[in-house]
Amino acid sequence: MTPAGRLRRRTLLRAAVAATTATTAAGCAGADPAVQVAVVWNGGELARFREVVKGYGSGVQVISAGNDIDAFLRARKLAGTSPDVAILPRSGLVIEYARSGWLRELSPASSYAVPPGMADLLSVGRRPYGVWVKAAHKSLFWYYPSTVPDPPRTWDQLVALTKRLGARARAGDGPAPLAIGAADGWVLTDWFENVLADVATTEEYEALARGEADWRGPPVHAALDRLAELWSVAGAFPGGGRRALLTQYEESVIQVVHHRRAVLLFEGDFVDDVGRRFQRGSEQVETFRFPASRVADSPLIVGGDAAVAFAGSTRGVELVRWLSGGSAFTPWLRAGGYLSPNVSVPLAEYHDPVRRRLAAELRTAGVVRFDLSDRLPGPLTGSDGVGIWRIMQDFFADVTDGVTAGEAARRATRQLTTEAARQAEAARPTESGR
Amino acid sequence: MSRVLGELAVLDDVGPPRRGRAYPATGAASALLLPALLLLGGLLAWPVLRTLHASVTTEGHWVGTTHFRTALSAPDTGAVVGRTLLWALVVPAVVTVLGYLLAAASRRPQEGGLVRLVLVVPTALPLVVTGVTFRLMYDPDPERGVATLVAAALTGRPGAAAPQLLGPGLVTVALMSAFVWAWVGLAVLVFRAALDAVPPSLADAVRAYGGNRRDVLWDAQWRPLLLRTVAVVFTLAALGTSRTFDLILVMAPGSVRDEASVLALRVWQTSNGATTGEGAALGVVWLVAVVAGMLVAALFVRQAWPPPRDPVEVAPAPAAPAPRRLTRLLAVGAALAWLVPLGVLLATSLHSTVDAAARGWWRGPLSLDSYRDLVTGSELWRTLGFTLVLATVVTAAVLGVALLAAYPLAWLTGPPAQATGLLLMAASIVPVQVIAGPVNEVLGVVLSSGTARGLALVHVALGVPFAVLVLRNAFADLPAEQVRAARLGGRHWWSTLRLLARHNRPAVVAVAVLEFVQVWNDLVVGLLFSGPGAAPLGLFLAGQTRGFVANSGALAAGSVIASVLPVLLVVLARRQLVAGLVAGGLR
Repeated sequence: MTPAGRLRRRTLLRAAVAATTATTAAGCAGADPAVQVAVVWNGGELARFREVVKGYGSGVQVISAGNDIDAFLRARKLAGTSPDVAILPRSGLVIEYARSGWLRELSPASSYAVPPGMADLLSVGRRPYGVWVKAAHKSLFWYYPSTVPDPPRTWDQLVALTKRLGARARAGDGPAPLAIGAADGWVLTDWFENVLADVATTEEYEALARGEADWRGPPVHAALDRLAELWSVAGAFPGGGRRALLTQYEESVIQVVHHRRAVLLFEGDFVDDVGRRFQRGSEQVETFRFPASRVADSPLIVGGDAAVAFAGSTRGVELVRWLSGGSAFTPWLRAGGYLSPNVSVPLAEYHDPVRRRLAAELRTAGVVRFDLSDRLPGPLTGSDGVGIWRIMQDFFADVTDGVTAGEAARRATRQLTTEAARQAEAARPTESGR
Repeated sequence: MSRVLGELAVLDDVGPPRRGRAYPATGAASALLLPALLLLGGLLAWPVLRTLHASVTTEGHWVGTTHFRTALSAPDTGAVVGRTLLWALVVPAVVTVLGYLLAAASRRPQEGGLVRLVLVVPTALPLVVTGVTFRLMYDPDPERGVATLVAAALTGRPGAAAPQLLGPGLVTVALMSAFVWAWVGLAVLVFRAALDAVPPSLADAVRAYGGNRRDVLWDAQWRPLLLRTVAVVFTLAALGTSRTFDLILVMAPGSVRDEASVLALRVWQTSNGATTGEGAALGVVWLVAVVAGMLVAALFVRQAWPPPRDPVEVAPAPAAPAPRRLTRLLAVGAALAWLVPLGVLLATSLHSTVDAAARGWWRGPLSLDSYRDLVTGSELWRTLGFTLVLATVVTAAVLGVALLAAYPLAWLTGPPAQATGLLLMAASIVPVQVIAGPVNEVLGVVLSSGTARGLALVHVALGVPFAVLVLRNAFADLPAEQVRAARLGGRHWWSTLRLLARHNRPAVVAVAVLEFVQVWNDLVVGLLFSGPGAAPLGLFLAGQTRGFVANSGALAAGSVIASVLPVLLVVLARRQLVAGLVAGGLR
């Protein structure tokens, strides 16, 4: 459309909604030169990030888009009002946006150094379109040391401990072994990824994440069998499987740290955020790594948030470069609750001992695998009631409801295959149109 | 719910043409339609066409029915469509029956008014708040959820094995119960107004001929009036069930989203911000169903026997016999039952965040901590302030645009008037999820940056059709002498308009209050169109439900704060609301 036509339409509509709407507009938009950043965070994390960007030379306006940041950004794109920068919770989105031509190529700061393989996840054709700004360590079990004097070091030990505690819990003689927030599908996919990382080779894991491997293959079956072995233990969860499916992640933390109805909780380093709020008594929760078949092979699944700059925004590219630098997030590091993906950040900068240890693990771990469900293409990546989230919840419901492991795994892999095929089908004309 | 309230007036208007008087139309007056036409054309009609187009194309290429076939062949689309229909049939039936019974039972002026007041409060609450309230009650943990505790006691099972109201089997029932709770008050008000409009002489006549209670009900209530009112209430509630979206988003935990899903949710899930392919196809299916439902209802209401319009107001019936004790008990019992959820919400908000999350609202010390955490933070004030400005601005804009448009439209008579009525009514029930993508495109053309005004524009466009309808009906129903006097008294069209508006104060107040409450209580428009610095209240509350249990104290306190203004407005203006919306009958 010509600028003149654009102007004419605009004038007409302005007239139509009368001066009143225009007043809000003036009040809200104004002549604000600040760089806009859309983030997923809210609450405490949002406040911390606002402190971080205070250190940037010019004004930065932080917008919390919440969990539906994808829908938010698509709508903004349609309206032509994309922010300069967005911080995305899934690497799959970065690739999707980059392929659609929405993003600008970036040049990270010289001090930007992330564990091997991570940077590639944000590149299309070797051009970087995103930088990691926050990492999440997703291979941790949390517990009170007084309840588990001898934490399991291998998968078999974990199963044995679960069976022992489960039997005790069923006799009404103690807490259940595991708390799980199965109402949130991502909790279950995190479980799946940790087990898969142990039973599958790196190549198999990466092929699945790229959406190239067959979901009916042996690694997926082996991983699901393993999960079924643990989840189907009688008395494994407080209130049973049906109850666990209505338990959200935060509530599962409360079950362990406050009620002590369960002993172990698997989730990422962010557990301590909720844990601190609901902790009862002076005992501190401890962590151990997600156990693998052998002690030496403990998987390390990493998730994270990546910053991207939208096409047409030079100031966005500058801000992202600044964010990728080692020192940008210092205020958040000092305040605690932040794990940097940047391995050039000195460990001494971490004031929070848990994060310091996890940051060290990030450096020394043999193979770092990146969160699988975050990388899956299209809706298979999951959200409430959709994609792999729903499929894992169905699987959980099956195995805790007496369906045999083999049958439950068959159903899950069939669903995964069908869903992946449906998406490939839906995506095909679009691909050819590009 | 408020937009649906407006449809009452609309349905009422679709009956046989009753306006014989022709106003002289002036060419200049037609120009007054321009703002409304631009808004509706740009933000409703054009997006609907775009969605239709998107449902049969992929990136501009014709693909025929591919999208429809893919969408309908998805594993559980059948279940979703079935559930949507179930909602549209079962819930309105329950609302209608309960509404009639309670309206009849709350006839006595002494406690009846109080009972109706209690029933009306839930209708003013944002659906998000209703969802929060019922999720608190239905919490699967018997130490927190009072309904689970009672269910465990009733079934004689231990707490852990009690029926799960939010579980996959019962979640739809749980959602429906919340919806009925929120809607019965509206039905009661409408039925009460209808029952009050039945001339008591009719019942006396039936009795004089030896008729018993049943004959009175049949000949003096059902045939002259209630058949039509039932149709109106049923349709209202049926159309209202397309707004279950907010409830599902707030109440259903992620693992049972699928078991609770209806078309509204499915369209939103598949559309993913834009409206393309499968999402557009499902949206079209939904749109067609809603419009078909509306047309059927309109025909049904048309065929019903029109109520007698007695120009002489009959004094309230002194002869009406007092209801039996049983019915009175029913009314009082219902009022008490309706108070329970409100009590749960209030009690939960009066616990600290840790106590509210860890144990039931009936235990633990009372404290104002949850409120203190909220009011000392800046987020609540920002969102309250934003929502207040937004609702005020939108209400003013809607009133302005609608008054201008209603003036020339009221001149129409006969078939053109009915056609406009049907069109406006169709416009007021277009589900916004269906047109979200195209609306965003239009916003992008109109406003290059900043989306607070985009949000306001969408609200204005969605609010205008119903406001125009109510005001048009009100203007058209004014006695001819008043119009003539106004036209003689006013030198220009705007002074005539002002005089007309003054004669129609209840309608103007009703439109203003409903629009304000509608924007204040909104979740879905905010979810689809909010932007930088534009975080409305509904979104603020819904965002916290992801960690529902951990946030329940803050959520309850936030819900109470969010509900004060709409409840006050609706309760204070309820007489004008009924008078302004039940077109014709009362003046």
